[in-house]
Amino acid sequence: MAISLSKGGNVSLSKEAPGLTSILVGLGWDPRVTDGSDFDLDASVFICGENGKVRSDEDFIFYRNLVGLGGAVEHLGDNRTGEGEGDDEQVKIDLSKIPADVKKLVFVVTIHEAEKKNQNFGQVSNAFMRILNQDGGAELAKYDLSEDYSTETAMIFGEIYRHNEEWKMKAIGAGFAGGLGPLATAHGVNVG
Amino acid sequence: MTVLGPGANAPLTSNDLTVLIRHGTIPGADIDVSAFLITASGKVRSDADMCFYGQPSVAGGAVALSGSENGEARFSVGLGQVPAGVEKVVFTATIHENRASFSKVPEITLDAGGVRGAIPCAGMTETALILAELYQRNGAWKFRVVGQGFNGGLAALAKHLGVEIAEPAPPVPTPTPAPPPIPAPAPISTPAPAPISTPTPASSPTPSPSTSSVNLSKVSLTKQNNTVSLKKEGGRFGKMQINLNWNQSQTQKKTGFFSKGSVAIDLDLGAFVETRDGKRHVVQALGNGFGDFQQAPFVRLLGDDRTGSVSDGEWLEINGDRWADIKRVLVYAFIYEGVPNWKETDGIVRVLVPGQPEVEIRMNEFEQDGSMCAVVGIDNHDGQVRVSRQVTFHSGHKALDKQYDWGFRWTAGRK
Repeated sequence: MAISLSKGGNVSLSKEAPGLTSILVGLGWDPRVTDGSDFDLDASVFICGENGKVRSDEDFIFYRNLVGLGGAVEHLGDNRTGEGEGDDEQVKIDLSKIPADVKKLVFVVTIHEAEKKNQNFGQVSNAFMRILNQDGGAELAKYDLSEDYSTETAMIFGEIYRHNEEWKMKAIGAGFAGGLGPLATAHGVNVG
Repeated sequence: MTVLGPGANAPLTSNDLTVLIRHGTIPGADIDVSAFLITASGKVRSDADMCFYGQPSVAGGAVALSGSENGEARFSVGLGQVPAGVEKVVFTATIHENRASFSKVPEITLDAGGVRGAIPCAGMTETALILAELYQRNGAWKFRVVGQGFNGGLAALAKHLGVEIAEPAPPVPTPTPAPPPIPAPAPISTPAPAPISTPTPASSPTPSPSTSSVNLSKVSLTKQNNTVSLKKEGGRFGKMQINLNWNQSQTQKKTGFFSKGSVAIDLDLGAFVETRDGKRHVVQALGNGFGDFQQAPFVRLLGDDRTGSVSDGEWLEINGDRWADIKRVLVYAFIYEGVPNWKETDGIVRVLVPGQPEVEIRMNEFEQDGSMCAVVGIDNHDGQVRVSRQVTFHSGHKALDKQYDWGFRWTAGRK
């Protein structure tokens, strides 16, 4: 069932979750109830090759580019307020359909226009990011953004990577200064 | 030392702490700081969970406003004493009557037992702010700076925190002196055959000066804050007690030729009670109508403090477990003998309901004629106990009855 992953911890998905073929990355938060700009959190994925960078700009899966790898990675859509129960944004990943030259997928969460709106995760209620076994819904890792990343505006949540022909998961949980643009640049995306 | 900004949190080092809030001042606009005990639902359990200037200590002293002056407010908090079910203590600041926004102060700083925080206020349009919260996380208490709020002021904040609003606050452009007495009793929306919602005489030129309000707790009911609702699951309230006390050192000077001194003023407590079946009862010592606790009217008067020598005054008891059988109660005080001098008697009526905030009403409308004072209305409002301050003065039972539309037939009586 739920694997407790400490920061930087590794877990072998094939061992911990045998038969795992597809995962779901979920991002959830509560809509703002006070006056002011909505909290607009975004889940994004970088599909990386050997060098740890995207192979092309198409490998950057975010609110304006929802589908990657011919459907193996699918962002289910942008939520701009946090309205709704449970996960407010989800990305589905079918591990079996990921081509061999893809070595890792990096999952990040950012607050849209955080700097302009002077927002951070701590101002958002019940913000979390988690990764699930799509089959059965078992939670593999979860971070509480509101509580443990309160002063951050962007975070590298974690990655799944190939290691000796199996998929492993690494929980990173590292705050990142600058938001989605600099994150994309850092992963080799040509941000226009 | 780290100063936490909005959103940031940190563990507390002790469960007994002082929370100091420095908010500064805004010329012409008062800043009120309050604390709320909040459950998992994000709301207060009742108005008794609001700690503010009118109710400086809540939950048996677990949270107490220990000082508020010169642009700062200080709370003492014993997190170990916070009742089970309370998950947060939320600190707020509101600008009275929304006369300004928080952009008028540069920042608000906080110190919770040595954990410091700061909220920059430049550009803020909010007139009510959630400053910070003490909250439970994995069994331990932490402190978070919030710095978010509402442009709609106290009313919006109170709604957010589940504190009941009696009526919307009308904008008050300039401070107006409160007109003398006859405050309109709070409206009662329960359909009743005898409407008592508008006893203000038609001749009364001024509407109630009520400017607010949140139903406040321990709650001194004033002209501004004249109604409080006490809610309870299942509608049972136990033994509700109403106490009348007054300044018993005050005496009336006898001015007659043979006068040798003075006599104590005797204030009597009584009530009109309407039961659910529509029957109306008078409970008072005069006429030996002491009432009955177990049967209708489910209200009784305990003895009669005739001399005023019993230090805790006179007591009425309402059987709150039979609250469903009671439609409305009007509690009054009257001066049985002697010249009415309400100013010197300085009477206080307290309404005590188990597990509920104590409600206090002062009969401080001075220079009033009339031996009767309608003090407080206690109404069954959809099963809730709704306490509304009256403090209107009348020449006698008949006049009181007429004004409040009870329809008794009156004859003279003696104790």
